[in-house]
Amino acid sequence: MNNGMNSFEPKIVGFLCNWCSYAGADKAGVAQTPYPSNVNIIKVMCSGRVDPQFVLKAFASGADGVLILACHPGDCHYKEGNYKALQRYKILSRLLKQFDIAEQRLRFDYVSAGEGEKFVEAITSIVDNVKSLGPLSIKGGNNIWEQQH
Amino acid sequence: MKTGVYFCNCGSIISDKIDPEKVKEKLKDASYIKSFGLMCSDEGKQFLEVDIKAERPDRIVIAACSPRDHQLTFMNAIEAAGMNPYLMQMVNIREQIAWVVEDKARAVDKTASYIQGAIKRVNLQKPLNIKEIDAEISVLIIGAGPAGLKAASAIAEAGRKVILVDKSPAIGGKPVLYEKIFPNMECGPCMLEPILDDVLFGRYADNIETLTISEVTEVTGYYGNFTVKIKQSPRYVNLKTCIGCGECVEPCPQKAIAVPFTGAMPNSVSIDDSACLRFKGKECSLCKEACPIPDVIDYDDKELIHERRVGAIIIAIGAGLYDCSRFPNLGFGLLKDVYTADQFERLLSSTGPTEGTLETSDGGEPESISIIHCVGSLDNNHNGYCSEVCCQYAFKFNQMIKEKLPQAKIYHIYKELVLTGKDGFILYDKAKVSSDTKFIRYKDIKDINIIDQDAKILISIEGIDVKIKSDMAVLCPSIVPVEESKQIGKMLDTTLDRFGFFEELHGRCDSAQSKIKGVYLAGTCQSPMDIAACMNQGMAAASYILSGIVEGKKLEIEPITAVIDKERCSGCKVCQLVCPYKAIAFDEKDGISIVNELLCHGCGTCAAACPIGVIEVNHFTTEEIFAEIEGLLA
Repeated sequence: MNNGMNSFEPKIVGFLCNWCSYAGADKAGVAQTPYPSNVNIIKVMCSGRVDPQFVLKAFASGADGVLILACHPGDCHYKEGNYKALQRYKILSRLLKQFDIAEQRLRFDYVSAGEGEKFVEAITSIVDNVKSLGPLSIKGGNNIWEQQH
Repeated sequence: MKTGVYFCNCGSIISDKIDPEKVKEKLKDASYIKSFGLMCSDEGKQFLEVDIKAERPDRIVIAACSPRDHQLTFMNAIEAAGMNPYLMQMVNIREQIAWVVEDKARAVDKTASYIQGAIKRVNLQKPLNIKEIDAEISVLIIGAGPAGLKAASAIAEAGRKVILVDKSPAIGGKPVLYEKIFPNMECGPCMLEPILDDVLFGRYADNIETLTISEVTEVTGYYGNFTVKIKQSPRYVNLKTCIGCGECVEPCPQKAIAVPFTGAMPNSVSIDDSACLRFKGKECSLCKEACPIPDVIDYDDKELIHERRVGAIIIAIGAGLYDCSRFPNLGFGLLKDVYTADQFERLLSSTGPTEGTLETSDGGEPESISIIHCVGSLDNNHNGYCSEVCCQYAFKFNQMIKEKLPQAKIYHIYKELVLTGKDGFILYDKAKVSSDTKFIRYKDIKDINIIDQDAKILISIEGIDVKIKSDMAVLCPSIVPVEESKQIGKMLDTTLDRFGFFEELHGRCDSAQSKIKGVYLAGTCQSPMDIAACMNQGMAAASYILSGIVEGKKLEIEPITAVIDKERCSGCKVCQLVCPYKAIAFDEKDGISIVNELLCHGCGTCAAACPIGVIEVNHFTTEEIFAEIEGLLA
């Protein structure tokens, strides 16, 4: 596949909700099937906590990709945080395009506590996508959002 | 800031894959890093406690297994060492690294990044404490059917005060009217008698305030501290002195005074003021004159508003039946001998209009009766669920018909037969042995046509070559939510599911809890279910309350909640819109939103939604997450 790109190891930040997706990641761990190590995980109680600023902050801090994993529709521990996360993701995707950040660098998906395999699939897929896109360079420099915080 | 890192080797499960020495070389910001064989063991916890006491770090990072495994173990050990447990951050290097990263150098790099992120984050973490508040131990139960009664008697037995509210003049709900209850054909009132007795006159009855002809009109407050208003309509009869003899019933020219039904509890009459002549300005006191006991009848009885403080509320308002007039093809309301199940139940009852004689509308003895199952159930055009009890009562009817009219032919026209559990098969098994009982399966309720023909009912089913002549048809309608569910849901902020039933906190793990803390669900207001399940749910709701609110014990509030910066809140109320728990109120005086920590579950959706970023979630602040991002990517 991505000949010539394989030496590039992207840095990706994954925001996982505590109740479903984080447990899904644990399940993948217990299964002990190796998967790409590029995604560094941050636990939040609910995907609804993922402020779009977290995603921008990750890109600004050097992430080449960001992954948000939530409970499946109807399964949210907090009723509907995952729907809020989805809405925010959709709007944020459009915003990213305006900064010339390819949409594929941000991925939103549902992973339940039982879906270790789906977790691995989500990780593998974003790593592959970001590898083929190459390192991220942000127009205007990595600190363009910094002033606002 | 002194930040100590503890690296758990997990026996050697972690250290075989990630060399702690190599990780140490890469860490910049740790004040010290120590590894230990198995930190969750008793020795490990001991080591942690002793070492924290000796080192006195300001913050701690523990690199070990998933926090889902041992976060609480370590929090307890840290607390035992005299440190606030929220000043620790766990890093999951077993599930997320040791078990899944093959390349050892990469595993070390990733571990170092994780710990680096945790150090940056933990240095910003603040000590948090579980808060305690007083809680009221009384309980309000809305609805005195099987579920509400069971809960009331259990809570009263535990020595708690219960306020039991029912809109009707008698308690017992629907089954007190049923002469036979499936599957054992017990008599409904007899079955419920002991529990009705318990509630009204039993050892713990003093703990139960039963308010009939009453409804809850206002609820304010939250878990542990609700204030409720209950409107009690006048009964015009003194419940304490009326003996239910019924002497007053006969003389009333308007039939305005009556016992709700034979055997009703409380055994007392009530006056329907919309029918009574006195309330139409006429002179009449025939009932009072007929009453053998002085001062039972009180024409001056007034509506009362009771205000009570309770710690928890159980909603047990029951369910209703789907409106069969939605099916003109079934002839309900158009043909005289098409009945709903509850009408048929009355026809079978010795206290019903025919005193239990089964006869058609023109007085004839029916030779054939058709029972249409699944009317509105298992049907996405109507109600996309099984109503659970219909098969059972349909076969109960089968047996009752056979007892009264052994020669009668019975047709079961059904979509699906659902006969679950150890009792589900009994009545069906009895019904199916008779050659006079026939089973006909239909696909869609639309395919059934019921018309009048030669003083009988003619049932035809499209797609099946069958025509049934019957004298009566009984429709088994879906169990559906009652209209009051909406109003009560609104009053208590409890949500309804897509069918209009009360929504559970979790359909399997917490089906007797609503999504609002302190509000519990029992019985058919939550889902169709049989009497056994209603009773169990009543007990489940009672046990949630008895274990959650204990006399002399304060309610604990988890510290991971949202906090709004009072100075900077602009009062836009966006947070209120997104909060799934109605945990955010608006302070009209100051024009700001305020989080009720007791109701907040700490999901953080409001924090992410706040347009000016003035909401923080304890332990998951924006600052902490930003620091973690920076550390992870450094």
